[in-house]
Amino acid sequence: MIQLLNTILIGLTSGAIYALMAMAIVLVWRSTRVINFAQAGLALASTYIGYQVFQIVDNYWIALFVAMAAGAALSAFIEIAFMRLLLKHTSSGPIASVAPIIATLGLLGIVKAIITMIWGGQDAVIKPPLSNTGFSLGSSTLVFSPMKLAIITSVAVLVLIFSLFFQKTNIGLALRASAYAPEIARLAGVKVDLVRTLGWALSGAAGAVAGLLLTSNGNGSFSPESMEFSLLLISGFIAAVIGGLDSLVGAVLGGVVLGLVTSFVLMYISGSLFFIAPFVVLLLVLFIRPQGIIGVKAGRRA
Amino acid sequence: MHKLSNRVRIAIFILLGIAIYFLSGAVDELRVYQGATVAVYVVGIASIILLTGYSGQVSLGQGALLGVGGYAAALMRIHYNAPVWICFAVAILVAAAAGALLGLAAARLSGPYLAGTTLALAVGLPSIANQFAVLGGEQGLLFDVGFPPLSFGEEFTQYKWFFWIASLATLIAIFWLQNVMRSRYGRSWKAVRGNDVAAELAGINLTRNKTLAFTLSAGLAGLSGALLAMTIGTVSPSAFPLALSFSLLTGAVLSGVTTLGGVMIGAVTLVAIPDIAGAVASRFGSSEAVTNNLPGLLVSTLLILTVLFVPNGPVEQMRARREHRVKK
Repeated sequence: MIQLLNTILIGLTSGAIYALMAMAIVLVWRSTRVINFAQAGLALASTYIGYQVFQIVDNYWIALFVAMAAGAALSAFIEIAFMRLLLKHTSSGPIASVAPIIATLGLLGIVKAIITMIWGGQDAVIKPPLSNTGFSLGSSTLVFSPMKLAIITSVAVLVLIFSLFFQKTNIGLALRASAYAPEIARLAGVKVDLVRTLGWALSGAAGAVAGLLLTSNGNGSFSPESMEFSLLLISGFIAAVIGGLDSLVGAVLGGVVLGLVTSFVLMYISGSLFFIAPFVVLLLVLFIRPQGIIGVKAGRRA
Repeated sequence: MHKLSNRVRIAIFILLGIAIYFLSGAVDELRVYQGATVAVYVVGIASIILLTGYSGQVSLGQGALLGVGGYAAALMRIHYNAPVWICFAVAILVAAAAGALLGLAAARLSGPYLAGTTLALAVGLPSIANQFAVLGGEQGLLFDVGFPPLSFGEEFTQYKWFFWIASLATLIAIFWLQNVMRSRYGRSWKAVRGNDVAAELAGINLTRNKTLAFTLSAGLAGLSGALLAMTIGTVSPSAFPLALSFSLLTGAVLSGVTTLGGVMIGAVTLVAIPDIAGAVASRFGSSEAVTNNLPGLLVSTLLILTVLFVPNGPVEQMRARREHRVKK
């Protein structure tokens, strides 16, 4: 019984982080029809900036906030300085569909190399603000800790803010309009280019939070070579695909589903399936329901 | 595209082989070793050119297929003590079989979906090595092709032997690939890449076509993996990291992903960049952290610049320019 509860709670925590990453990927996909494979690199860069701030002010939440802002700025900068040029140069020709994938991979390489140049020598640690020892339930101790609770709460709050922003504000409406039909949105007076940049910025912010919370989910230490960050990109991508790649609600659901599935596989089947389980989930989704669990139209052609 | 007759092409390849033979005697050990690495990369890059450039599918997990080939070759060598060329043949066949499976899945996916799936595979597959004891876990397996035959003389070094094997295998592979690309399959891949709906209407079976491309490409990747295993002497999960997949893709883009003509450019660049970066870093007296990461930075920057400004690669670009001039 305790084991079941533990499995669910761990799954929900990592699922919450995957959900954030999936949101980041979906935001970029909706605004420019590009999967940003550099997303995890940007999250890592933002986490390091958060780490730098944490060294100075010694306050986790301020660091988180600055990391968010930095992630947004970084991401917006890349959209303006780089993606616009790319989409203009390679809109046709034999590798038009491949170019954005390759270019964002190149971006990942650059970001990673620069991070390692600056911070590579030392082992960075951001001390989690809350205890990572589990709550006790009766006589036994859960794996679920105050920090994990804080992670789930932060993600829930962030998702709530994002969805209010998208549903209730004019800018949110413009974002949805230009994702749905850029040409028509342009005709209706929406500044589509600006809105795209905004989409990237929001995505950068979400990725930054995902990166920082990911380190706090463990013992707070991380390095440019952290396997977790490669996994973060893949988990985020898979969660986004489960959700249909086009919907924020889907991304959140996909993250939770993926978190729960991997958690159950680890706990009840084998711990060594950790890397291969997400891949199997992805294949199953793509074959059984390629449009995602809440998608309406065929998504895989896109 | 200018078409040389088969006889001329065979002559060119034999001449290349002879040139390589004399070259290997003229340079020092390090260069010979680098030459072997170039050969490994040429085959790996060619496998990506076939897949991405010709059939329009992106694989970010080519490194995993190289791994399959490397492990297959090593297992053959260890358990059956098979001759080297049989090891390579088995590596090609096993990797091609894996590629066929993957290709069946891939034919249903496109663009970013395929890229993400192969990326997930590249991250997931190496962990399989830890799952089964026969694959040797984190340490991996030894792959020893043995000493060069004594008849080559006392002077003949191990690295030169690697280089000869790798070069011969590469020449054969590239010759074969050229033939495939000029066959009806090559033409139908091009048609599918250009416009898949039109190609389907013209009677091309898309699924079979894409799966075939994936299978052949995986076979080449398997050969490249076995050659790589030969030059480093072992196969282990860490020999086929995600970075290898990215390097090969980078090499393919630098070579020009739509033609086989520039395949050397990418391979030589990949091998030369660490040397160049080292020279630059020591010139400016950079710190260790900068020196170690300069190659990665240079390669990624080159990759982005190529995608932005010469998306079809230098060879294709030059050809286009020449044709443009002729038309005027």
